[in-house]
Amino acid sequence: MTRLLDARGLFAGYGGMDILRDCTITVSAREMVVIVGPNGAGKSTAMKAIFGLVKIRDGRVVFDGLDITNAPPDSLASRGLAYVPQEHNVFATMTVEENLDMGAYTRRSGVAEAKSRVFELLPALALTRRQRAGELSGGQRQMVAIGRALMMQPKLLMLDEPSAGLSPKVLTEILEAIATINAAGVAILMVEQNAKAALAMAHRGYVLAGGANRFEGPGRELLANQEVAASFLGG
Amino acid sequence: MADFVNLYLVNGIVLGCVYGLGAIGITMIFGILRFGHFAHGDMMTAGAYIALALVWASGMPVLWVLPLAMVLTAALGAGVHWAFYRPLERGTNSTIIIVIASFGVALMLRSAVQLFFGVDIVTYQRGFQTPIWIADTIRILPRHLWIIGLTVVIVIALHLFQTRSRLGKAMRAMSDNPALARISGIGTTKVVIAAWAIGGALAAAGGVFLGIDTQLSSQMGWNLILPMFAAAVLGGIGNPIGAALGALVVGIAEELVTYPWFGDPLISPAYKSAVSFAILVALLIWRPTGLTRGRVF
Repeated sequence: MTRLLDARGLFAGYGGMDILRDCTITVSAREMVVIVGPNGAGKSTAMKAIFGLVKIRDGRVVFDGLDITNAPPDSLASRGLAYVPQEHNVFATMTVEENLDMGAYTRRSGVAEAKSRVFELLPALALTRRQRAGELSGGQRQMVAIGRALMMQPKLLMLDEPSAGLSPKVLTEILEAIATINAAGVAILMVEQNAKAALAMAHRGYVLAGGANRFEGPGRELLANQEVAASFLGG
Repeated sequence: MADFVNLYLVNGIVLGCVYGLGAIGITMIFGILRFGHFAHGDMMTAGAYIALALVWASGMPVLWVLPLAMVLTAALGAGVHWAFYRPLERGTNSTIIIVIASFGVALMLRSAVQLFFGVDIVTYQRGFQTPIWIADTIRILPRHLWIIGLTVVIVIALHLFQTRSRLGKAMRAMSDNPALARISGIGTTKVVIAAWAIGGALAAAGGVFLGIDTQLSSQMGWNLILPMFAAAVLGGIGNPIGAALGALVVGIAEELVTYPWFGDPLISPAYKSAVSFAILVALLIWRPTGLTRGRVF
């Protein structure tokens, strides 16, 4: 498999304090990778650092053969990297369809095709296309956020806790949608609180602790690992 | 009844149009750049005087030179941003510094107008307009028809731009959620320049309309700041169409409080500018999101 994302030896944080201390994350084409770990382990910070939202002090991020270390976030969408933040991830005053249009902002052509592709992958969106995103339920909003990110037809989709605050039933729907997207050929890098469910469906997982890699390996192996289970998956 | 419409309602609507054209710029700049632009009234003054200079230079009626005055004031808006606010924005992340700087810009614009045009009151055109009578009771001045009609056209055009065009939607997105806009690949520079250009152009229209309705003075725009901010809050900050409607409410309210509802004027016309202040205070206490579903910053 070709290596899509190679973020190596990252040191990054806010205001001179490093939250990431030598963190390395790689994702291959079509792969689904999950980052788990305790609160404050630096999972979200790792995503933000890769996407240029937190300054990287040391280390290198290479995406699809290009060095994107500390690249401005608004330059990444057109390179095939998409990111869905955990919070405030839709344009609440705009309709679902307008949210998708904004996802395709840097796309000069093929917007209609991209949109119908998103509606195919996330059929629930088609029903709410004229509604304001701010009026939707948490699960529907999350679908809109993912749909917006898919509009550029990214090679890698990064999701920061897509299930945060959702009911178990909706969580299942979201994870199923993510699996469908991955099956369609989009690589996924995801931070997830529901570590067991996420690792069960992932190709590979990372366990972060204290801003550094603690464990990594195929999802099922990590689930079976006694030490990982005892310290990070709640027994 | 006829007096109510002729002397109060129409004046209120015209005033609302002037406020609205300024309030749209204020709300847009607040939505995208997150600061209250207190030089906006003086930008309207500048626009009105730019139109005056064009009238003097060309000898044409003011409405003919309005489009050019709007373009020039749009450039002035972008220029002011580039020269004053952008360097400050880069040097600090404190909004209050930029807000205070906008008071400075207000003084500079006003002084520039006084320097070139003096401090005396001037008009675009001397003379008297004959009112048009409708059904023998309602009379309306042609200039009022022009002001109302052109404002409606401008607001509709703006609405179409914001809901149909790629740049217009990007402006709404930036105002709604700047972090997500950047993540989506929307570059800040273009959107910011568009906000200043549109804000400037509409400020010129508002200033010219006020000049047509009354007269020009170097203080004309500054006096509008309070009602325009009230209108922007009323419409929900960041919502241009809301600001236009909010301005209509403020303008009509200011005129109607002087109507002799119970035999005497409700309050003396001298105090009518207190109305917008009262509206602003009441809103900030009870409904800070504005009447439409705006957002609180």
